[in-house]
Amino acid sequence: MRGATTIRLWDWPVRLTHWVIVLLLPALWWTAEEGLIEQHRVLGLTLLGFVIFRLIWGFVGSESARFRNFLRGPGTVRAYLRGQATARPGHNPLGGWSVAALLAVLSAQLALGLVAQDEYGLVAGPLNPLLSFDAAETATEWHEALFNAVLALTALHVAAILYYLIVKRDNLVGPMVTGHRRADAGVEPLRPAARWAWAAAMLGAAAMVGWIALGAPPLT
Amino acid sequence: MTAIRTFAIVAAAAMLAMPSVAAAPDTIKARQANFKAMARSMKMISDELRKDTPAFAVVRREAAALDRAAGRVGRSFPRGTGAEAGVKTGARAAIWAEPAAFQAASAKLTGATKGLRAAAAGTDTGRIRAALGATGATCKGCHDQFRVQD
Repeated sequence: MRGATTIRLWDWPVRLTHWVIVLLLPALWWTAEEGLIEQHRVLGLTLLGFVIFRLIWGFVGSESARFRNFLRGPGTVRAYLRGQATARPGHNPLGGWSVAALLAVLSAQLALGLVAQDEYGLVAGPLNPLLSFDAAETATEWHEALFNAVLALTALHVAAILYYLIVKRDNLVGPMVTGHRRADAGVEPLRPAARWAWAAAMLGAAAMVGWIALGAPPLT
Repeated sequence: MTAIRTFAIVAAAAMLAMPSVAAAPDTIKARQANFKAMARSMKMISDELRKDTPAFAVVRREAAALDRAAGRVGRSFPRGTGAEAGVKTGARAAIWAEPAAFQAASAKLTGATKGLRAAAAGTDTGRIRAALGATGATCKGCHDQFRVQD
């Protein structure tokens, strides 16, 4: 089925963002456990930048990075579950939604972190002053609780990759490192992103994080 | 005669002790509310200090409230208001086993809140921020020693 030719599958912004998340998640967990809140804050803002970048990239990135190419309707998902193969390489109709779920939970977790605080109302996320102590305390509790959802979805993600590797004999990790994978002859190459789209997406993400880090001051 | 006197003393002591035993859950809830109010004041001061133009009236008001609340901490832990009261409390038995150390810790807190109150009388945000940090450090120091770790 595969192997006739090699195609570019994941562009470098997708791969970079992916592996940054892999590195930052354990670091964020560890700094939280150890009470290293200042470091947790810096790492959290860094991750926020990459997640915002990935969200922008979902609109302006290369074909396999775009949401509209991998978020498919329920009919397509059902067809895929019945065993009908998809036409284009990239996230399959079910996997696409798991990526969306991961990004959504990460975004929610980051948003909660932005308003979270220590129990003294002293060390806090950059947007904490926008909330009362009590509202921020609730957000902090959710921030702790939602980490379990992050863990669960990450575990599901890794389990799916292991299933592909062991049962389907399909290594998905390699392409996420190199960006290339084997494909049938005749598969058209994926449409790449516009040349400077990554620079625009990165500038946009950096500006957004900078503004949030300053406590989201009025833009006048 | 001695037996009757002993009985009377025991009975009187029991009667004196009773209201506080009956009120233990209320005492615990009141002191928890007091701590929560202190945290709220901390945040309000902290929020003001982050602004370009802090409202020093708010800082003064909350520093005063914080100082008053801090003064209650040392006498918020009568005997019988620990885990034995049957209400969820993070108070460790060390509070009653080492009363001198606990009183010293609560004196450290009031010392810090007095310092914060003094700093808040002026408009030197650096000084207020340092005093607020020092207050937070006494909170944490006491918690490490006398509160159940979660």
